[in-house]
Amino acid sequence: MSSFITVLLDGLAYGMVLFIISVGLTVTMGLMRITNVAHGGFAMVGGYLAAMMIRAGVPFFPAAILASVAAGLVGGAVEMTVLRPLYRKGELAQVLLTFGLTFVFIAGLTLLFGTNSQAVPLPDYLSGSVHIGFRDYPAYRLFLIATGLVLAVFLWLVVDRSLYGAKLRAAVDNPRIARAVGINVNRLFTGTFIAGCGLAGFGGVVGAELLMLEPFYALKYLVVFLVVVVVGGLGNFKGSFVAALAIGIIDTAGKFFFPNISAYFFFSLVFVLLLWRPNGLMPAKSAA
Amino acid sequence: MTTLPTRSGLAELSAQGRLGLAWHALPWVLAFVVFYMAEGYLSLWTNALIMILLTLSLDLALGYAGIVTLGQAAFFGFGAYAAGLFAIHVHNDPLIGLVTATALSGLFGFVTGILILHTQGVTLLMLTLAVAGLLAEWANRAYEITGGDDGLQGVRMGPVLGLFRFDLYGKTAYLYSLAVLFVWFVVVWRIIVSPFGRSLDGIRQNPARMRAIGTPVWWRLVAIYTISAAMAGTAGALSAQTTRFVGLTTLSVLVSGTALVMLMLGGTRRIYGAFLGATVYVIVQDYAAKVNPFYWMFFIGALLMATVLFLEGGLMDLGATVRKYWRRAPVKKP
Amino acid sequence: MRKQLVGFCAVGALLAATGIASAETVKVGVISTFSGGFARWGEQMKRGIEIYQKHHGDSVKGNKIEIVYRDDTGPVPDKARQLAEELILREKVQFIAGFPWSPNALAVADVVTEAKVPTIIWNAATGVITRRSPYFVRTSFTLPQVAYPMGVWAGKNGVKTAITAITEFAPGVDAETFFIKAFKENGGQVLESIRMPLSTTDFSPFFERILNAKPDALFMFGPGGPSSQGIIATWASRLRPAGIKLLATNEIQEIDLVGVGKNGIGAISTGHYTETNDNELNKRMWADMKAMYGEKAIADIAMVATYDGMEMIYRVVEKLGPRAKPEDIMQMMSNMSFPSPRGRLVIDPKERDVVNDVDIRKVDESGGRVTNVAFDKVPSVKDPWKEANPAK
Repeated sequence: MSSFITVLLDGLAYGMVLFIISVGLTVTMGLMRITNVAHGGFAMVGGYLAAMMIRAGVPFFPAAILASVAAGLVGGAVEMTVLRPLYRKGELAQVLLTFGLTFVFIAGLTLLFGTNSQAVPLPDYLSGSVHIGFRDYPAYRLFLIATGLVLAVFLWLVVDRSLYGAKLRAAVDNPRIARAVGINVNRLFTGTFIAGCGLAGFGGVVGAELLMLEPFYALKYLVVFLVVVVVGGLGNFKGSFVAALAIGIIDTAGKFFFPNISAYFFFSLVFVLLLWRPNGLMPAKSAA
Repeated sequence: MTTLPTRSGLAELSAQGRLGLAWHALPWVLAFVVFYMAEGYLSLWTNALIMILLTLSLDLALGYAGIVTLGQAAFFGFGAYAAGLFAIHVHNDPLIGLVTATALSGLFGFVTGILILHTQGVTLLMLTLAVAGLLAEWANRAYEITGGDDGLQGVRMGPVLGLFRFDLYGKTAYLYSLAVLFVWFVVVWRIIVSPFGRSLDGIRQNPARMRAIGTPVWWRLVAIYTISAAMAGTAGALSAQTTRFVGLTTLSVLVSGTALVMLMLGGTRRIYGAFLGATVYVIVQDYAAKVNPFYWMFFIGALLMATVLFLEGGLMDLGATVRKYWRRAPVKKP
Repeated sequence: MRKQLVGFCAVGALLAATGIASAETVKVGVISTFSGGFARWGEQMKRGIEIYQKHHGDSVKGNKIEIVYRDDTGPVPDKARQLAEELILREKVQFIAGFPWSPNALAVADVVTEAKVPTIIWNAATGVITRRSPYFVRTSFTLPQVAYPMGVWAGKNGVKTAITAITEFAPGVDAETFFIKAFKENGGQVLESIRMPLSTTDFSPFFERILNAKPDALFMFGPGGPSSQGIIATWASRLRPAGIKLLATNEIQEIDLVGVGKNGIGAISTGHYTETNDNELNKRMWADMKAMYGEKAIADIAMVATYDGMEMIYRVVEKLGPRAKPEDIMQMMSNMSFPSPRGRLVIDPKERDVVNDVDIRKVDESGGRVTNVAFDKVPSVKDPWKEANPAK
């Protein structure tokens, strides 16, 4: 029983990391319709910068926030310079451009930081263990679960309950009408893209213990991020949340119970889920 | 809808027809020039030919039929392992092995195509990735059959047609690959000018309307996916036979990604786009890696971004685009 | 043109015979990984070469030793094979060296055999490699060579039960096989053998399973880099508090411990090169490395194997001249034995493979570094794989 709960917690923590990073991709791919394969690159930028700041003596949380702001700004610069001309072009052009961008990220970060993996040192209060009734459990993972939950509630409030959210949904559904009623769609998209990349950067920092930062990070985990977004249903925050947790928990439980065939779990899961629900677990109602 | 359809396959071919046979002969003449000029680099060029074939197979599925796939590596690797295992366990004749590997890859494409082709867009993309991912995991785990991470060892090929031994200088390998590429090129040509090929054009642009006029859309997609898979399998088999080695990397998503990049770089639905894109990629990678091996990715990345931003139709459109910027005149559309 | 290509050796021999071979350039082609996620291997090898050339100059008796680098971009065997052909046909190298990856080394075996180019393996650790070409010689180690002594040590030092958890790919399976063999021969009991997927990012569920089985020790093997660091970190948070020992091989290196920090403390491993060993050559290599590449530079097995590989080439050119016959070069290299940063490099002439003293080390904090400290040694270990698979 105790290891059952532990595995559940482990799966939740892993799922939350996937959620924190992928939710930004839900924004760019699902809402803005940019097939952005450079998303992992923004997570990586955030992680690398935070690792550098923490090594230079900046405390963990300020470093995480600053790094995600920086990742967001890099995202904003990218959106305004190279992505904006692509909104009208097809997804293939977008894939190719963001693929090229990923290569540039990888080469650039390797140039600046070298080829070794980057550790993001945790503060003492997160690196220890907490007694949770029946055993000691890593505080860091509890922190991940809490962070993911807070973020999920916050995003739900923003997208579903705020004026900004209403404008965003309107702009995605029909950009021309949105413009006609006075919404500055360009600015809205740029702002949203910055937020998405900032979240990726934040995820890159706090998830670094589970998804290790290394030069190929952006390509290595890309498939996982994409899967969360697609399995969840393009553009659906709740879907991404459910998909991330489901993938995290099923993958983790599979490894615990059937370690020697766990290699097949992830892709089999994707295969079965997408054949069963081609539009994801929770297809977005709007903007098909 | 995908990228703007600058020209349909058919219109393009007839346009080229006006340019005469000379233009069509050019790539093949160049291929022979390479053969005589590139001593010591022939294995690089053989690799380029194989990548052209793979890219051309992707152009069929993605360019012409609009099947968004990142799973070409599954068929490339499948063909490579099939050819390698055939040579070890059954017979070492290259041509028999090549045909067998091609047929098996086509069969594999047919079966997976039936399963996944009713989906589209990003979902389809993920499913093709999953097929390739599962196959790669299997090949890694089944090391008694595949050699796993160490690769398939002990592939010994017999001479081509019983006459031409695979030599160290890679001459046989190059000409053999070139001949196979030519055969497939003719097949692709026939397909895209056929009514079947034209119906693919329609399916890509508006599947609903095609269905309404009675085209069996799903079967057409399965058919072209099968052909594309068989072709990618041939490319893999060539790789196995000419390098006499099969590694797990033949199944990696990077192979699919590279083929996609080559195709977009050259230009989709242009037949020669695959030739141009693959060749330029191979040369740039080789050159950049020599200038500064640490950062060739930077060159490739920048090249890709520049292509998307400034060369909509890939390098095949270079002439037209340059004219556009110089004369500020719109690109002429036939 | 073509005649030149056919045999630079023949031309060289002719030149040597007529006595104008006094100042030649000896070209060494280095195939390693300089880009992508594994670029560290290429960087460390390049540093090994540069440090060696700082110690010994870039020429031998007036013959310049020129290094030609080629990037195999990772474990990509067909790329490695193509580069080897180019180096031989185009650059006309006299030696090929490098190879972080076993599949790449195996893929060039046919090529170097056909072209008769002496080839030095600077890392790739699959046992069979040197059997695949008479022109291969290895200066690094083999996996069974370090995994087997670990099993022996564990069995003899109070470890009664163990679980093996390896990343599932060929070297991992090698390590698992030879650890289990040695451990069982020495009275140990293996409770379970877990093979983790290469793509694993979160190792905790596997470790939770291990925790439930309560073995005395865990024997691990990972692919190096981030994944290995993940395994070590998960051990530190889940198993170390429960008193379960971590046993491993060469991959517990100081260079990887940087990403792990104090999580690594207490891990026991076997290795042929221990960073803190106090032989003079090792200290000199470290000092020059820090001077050349800054305080953050760390020596590792790739650097040491490269350093020794360069010594081999320099000795060959010194004794046999710049245009020796490949057979003579192989004969000389197969019988070499000289001081190395690891202690001593010895080649087994029968297998052309390295014979290593294997250290048993423990990770500890020493002089501000988290690094390996050796506390025991198994002298002169030949590759156990070759003993288990005698040549036919």
